[in-house]
Parts: sequence; C-alpha cells; structure tokens
Amino acid sequence: MSLASVSQVRPLPDAATAPAILKLTDIEKIYQTKTIETVALNRVNLTIGKGEFVSIMGPSGCGKSTLLSIIGLLDEPTSGTVEIDGRPVAAYSDRELAALRNQKIGFVFQSYHLINDLSVLDNVELPLLYRSGVGGKERQQRALAALDKVGLSARTNHFPSQLSGGQRQRVAIARALAGGPELILADEPTGNLDSVMGEEIMDLLLTLNREDGVTIVMVTHDEHQAQKTERVIRFFDGSQVS
Amino acid sequence: MLRHLFTLIWNRKQANALLISEIFFSFVVLFGVGAVLITAARNFLAPHGFDYDQVWRLEVRAGQNRKMPRAELDDVLRQVQAVPGVRMVALTSGNVPFIFNTNNSVFEYQGKKSPVTNYYHADDQYNQVMRLHLREGRWFAPIDDGSHHRPVVISQDLRESLFGNGPALGKIFTWENPGKDPINYQDQFLVTGVVDPVRMESDFSAPIPSMWQRLLPYDTTHWETANVLVRVAPGSAGELQEKIARTVAGVTRQWTSQVRVINDERLHRRRYTLVPVVGLCIIGLFLIVNGALGLFGVLWYNISQRRAEIGLRRAMGATGAGIGWQFLGEMMVVTTFGVLLGGMLAAQFPLLHAFNLPAQPYLMAIGAAAAAVYAITAICAWQPSRLAAAIQPAVALREE
Repeated sequence: MSLASVSQVRPLPDAATAPAILKLTDIEKIYQTKTIETVALNRVNLTIGKGEFVSIMGPSGCGKSTLLSIIGLLDEPTSGTVEIDGRPVAAYSDRELAALRNQKIGFVFQSYHLINDLSVLDNVELPLLYRSGVGGKERQQRALAALDKVGLSARTNHFPSQLSGGQRQRVAIARALAGGPELILADEPTGNLDSVMGEEIMDLLLTLNREDGVTIVMVTHDEHQAQKTERVIRFFDGSQVS
Repeated sequence: MLRHLFTLIWNRKQANALLISEIFFSFVVLFGVGAVLITAARNFLAPHGFDYDQVWRLEVRAGQNRKMPRAELDDVLRQVQAVPGVRMVALTSGNVPFIFNTNNSVFEYQGKKSPVTNYYHADDQYNQVMRLHLREGRWFAPIDDGSHHRPVVISQDLRESLFGNGPALGKIFTWENPGKDPINYQDQFLVTGVVDPVRMESDFSAPIPSMWQRLLPYDTTHWETANVLVRVAPGSAGELQEKIARTVAGVTRQWTSQVRVINDERLHRRRYTLVPVVGLCIIGLFLIVNGALGLFGVLWYNISQRRAEIGLRRAMGATGAGIGWQFLGEMMVVTTFGVLLGGMLAAQFPLLHAFNLPAQPYLMAIGAAAAAVYAITAICAWQPSRLAAAIQPAVALREE
C-alpha cells in the first residue's frame, strides 16, 4: 500500500482504556563510574496502550534514548519493573529477551543502522533470520511485502549506499515491519532527514499506526511532528515532566 | 543463517581478501611442512628391508698409493671371520648403509628405463650379514661362477619398474647406455633374486630401487680401500672392535683399519636428516604464529569496527551467544575460502606426482593442513567472538 492511499483510519485508542502493551513502574537508570554517578532516569512511570502513537520529547541528555533502550529490552534499568503485555521481563534470560525483541518489537534508528554490505532485501530479512521456523522463501516473501508497504519494491537489489536518506529510513522501517511487531520504537527517525523526507517518514509511521494498529513510541526533537502523535511525553533531566 | 554468512562474506570480499590470502598462505605453509613430516614419518615407520643390528663396518686401507691384492684381502676376511664373536663377514663396495656415499645409475630392459637406482657390490656372504628379505630366487652362490652374465639381485621396486608384473628371475638387463657393441658380459645383468625394497640412506628416506652385483671371488682387481661388513654376536663391544683391528694389522702391518658400528652411523645420519626437517618446522611454526597473531588482530579490529552492527543484530533478536557464534561462523566461512584456494594449489601435487611421491602423503597433508588452519582460526576467533558477544547492544547502537 502506498503512502497516498490511506483510506481506512482506525479510531484512536483511549490511553486510559486500551489494554497496556507496555508498563514501566518506578524505572531508575543510574550510570556509575568510580568517581561519578549519573542519574539518567529517575522514577519513571509510564503506561502505553496497544495501538497508541506516543512521542517522547526533551532536550539532549535528558534520558529519552536510555528510556527507549529499556523499553526495547536492550538495556536493564537499575531499579523498577518493565512489563510487556502484563508480564514483567526482569527474570527473562538473554535468550527469552532476544526472542521477545524479535517477535514483539521493531526498531527504527536515526542513523538507519543498515548493513552496508547487504542488499536492501537482505537487510529487511534480518529480523526473520533470528526467528525459528521461518524458511528462506517465507522470509523473502515477508521482506518483499514490507518493502512494498514502504514503496521500495523496485529497490530490493540495491545497496544502502545507493539510496537517499529517506529511502534508507524507509528500508529501516520495512525491516522493523518485516517481523510483524506489535510495537515499533523509533529513535529520532526523521533526525537525519530534510523536512520533506521527514514528513514522508512521519506519514508512513502514522499510516502504520492507524491502518495496521502498530503501537509506536517515537523519540523526537521536532515539536511539529510530536504534535501529530496521540500523546506527547516530556522529559527533563531524567524525569518525566508531563 | 549459513547463506546469510556466505552473502555477507562474499559482499565483503575486498575487505576479506587480505584475511583470505593470509589463510591461503598459512594453509600452503602447513601443507608443505605437513607433507614433509608425513612423508618422513611414513618412511620412519616403514621397515628398512635389512637388519643393521650387530653389524659393523670394517674399513681396510692399503695406504697412500698402494693397492691391496685380492689374495691378501681374502686372508684378512678369513682371519676376521675366525675371531671369536664374529658371526659372518662380507665384502662390499664403499656405499654401505647410512653413510654419505652413493653409487647410482639408470638401467634398461627392452627399452624400459628404471628410475635412478643405487647399486652395490656384494659377495656371496653379504646376505647372511645384512639379512635382506628375499622374495624370489636366491642370493649369490658358487653356482654363479660359471655364469655368462653378471649375477645380480634386485629390489622389488626396481623389478616393478623394469619388468612390471612379469617374471624377473633369469631376465637380463643392462645399463641405460652400455656404450659397447657387443656389450661386455659384465655389463649384462642376470637376475638371480628379488628382495624387499630397502632404505639404506637414512631412517627418514624413502626406499630407493637397488641392485646388488656379485663380487667375483676370482676378481683380481687391486683395491685401495675395502669395505667389509661384519655381523657380530649380540652384546659385542669395543673389545671386539680392537681385536678385529689387531687381526687386520696381524695380516699386514702396512694396512690400516677402522671399525664402526652401523647403528651409530644410522643415528649420526638421522641427525643430519633431522636438522633441515626441524628447521623447516621451526620456520613453519614461526610463520603460523605470525599468521595467527595477524588473524587475531584483524578480527579484533573487525569487531571494533562492527559494534553498531552487533548492536543492531541484538536489537533484531540475536542473543549474545548467537553474535559470538556468528563471528566464529564468519571466520569459518572466510577460512573455507582460503582453504579452498590453498586446496586447489595443493591438489596439483598428488595430481602431478610431484617429487615422485605417492598421492597418499599429499592427501593426508591437505587434510591435516585444513584441520590445523580451521583449528588455528577458531582459536584466534574465539576471544574476539566472546568480546563481540559481550557487547551491550544499547551502548553499541549509540556508537555509530
């Protein structure tokens, strides 16, 4: 489906009543060296409902990316609990966390994080490589479908270096989509793009949220784009201020 | 995942070319050293084809510009034979086992040429001293006195090269280029016996086709030096050596003699053969250690350059252990490319029968070199792979 053909818009979920896909309780993250203790997150409580599109804003160094890493199970909080679908993940093993990331979460990064030595198709297939029971043919079909969704089916054999910034970010979104995640975590997805391309990517994320019901948590510095999301959470010095 | 690794390595072939060439050269060095060691080991374990224990070499010299009449020499042999502790004496040529003295030539039978063949002179008692393993026919005997050709005993490998699977006994062959027409009867060799292949050069040498020509008892040639092989009773020592020397001196005071133990000559020769082999091993080891350090460094650097990719793969669902195995797997794929290239080069050796060696040692060396290269790269990749597995994904993702 192309970006211009958004026809069916799902009613926006009510944060208060939608079942929570993610719940953070009293999250603290402290980076400690021999001499300095840095509080990155201070008693953060946050609930995100299924199907929500939430943006997180705040100045540089306020803990936004740290929060996203904790939500994405890439980092552990110093204290507090993270629940995904109502289940605390603290006791999960490395293998279980990896499986949860693979099946439930898709990641979109500011700097795309594409592997330059792999074709667009191979990049998009990447999350499915780590999923058992998905054969080569199915992997390819799902990757092609995801690329079709972001309008890049004509670029499957290109390499990232042959694409524009906007196209690269679309590949990254296709990669996040290929695994069929319920939650997409986007860390400043338009930060490296000009305003036109930024708008395109934002529209794409909005489409995914409204048509497919994918929950999206987006870190951004852009107030204009944040206002397009259903909820804006603001951070300052590691604390949630709104 | 394997296809993914191959795709990744193939797409990074330029970046991996140095690594692949390093593995290729390591493989070639290991193959070379392996082929030498395996050949030497196979030879070492093979039988010598004769019994050198309790055999001494008595060298008798007539003195400068002097000749020794055969009658006097025969007298010396009789006297030495009579010494208590001496079991048997045999007159032979100077190329006794395990010394740096070789007589060789090429022989011909009905247009078929032999490889380079060692030839020895031996009397009728020679086989009682050396205990060669007769396969067919017999050793020389007085019955050969009336022969119209030079009686010879040949080794099985010479027999195969000249006569194939056909009978050898009673056949007559000549030097490759006899040079006279008609050929002198002494240059026409009549096969009276066939013995097992012999290794008289050193413990590590391969069997060399050999021929023993009969020393005629009525030969009137005057020699300057005579080599006598003496089989002694087990446990004989220096006292017997002195007795033999005194016996020679008792026959004629003008002649000098020297008695050496063949087994000592063998050990002496072994040291000479081992020196280049050990040197080759040390050089090979040095090159391998250098190669391994290079691999280790390249992998370490590789991982430091790919931290963001590691973070990404963790985010996509790879476990820490999975990342470690991936890097190890990548290294194995790169190694496979290097080993395949090296294998193609190494395969030419058995195909072309290089250095006249059979295919088996080369094939064993290829297998051993491949196994060693895989082991070395796995060891070198292990620590960097563990390092990759331990990288925190959140930290790695922020580093690009």
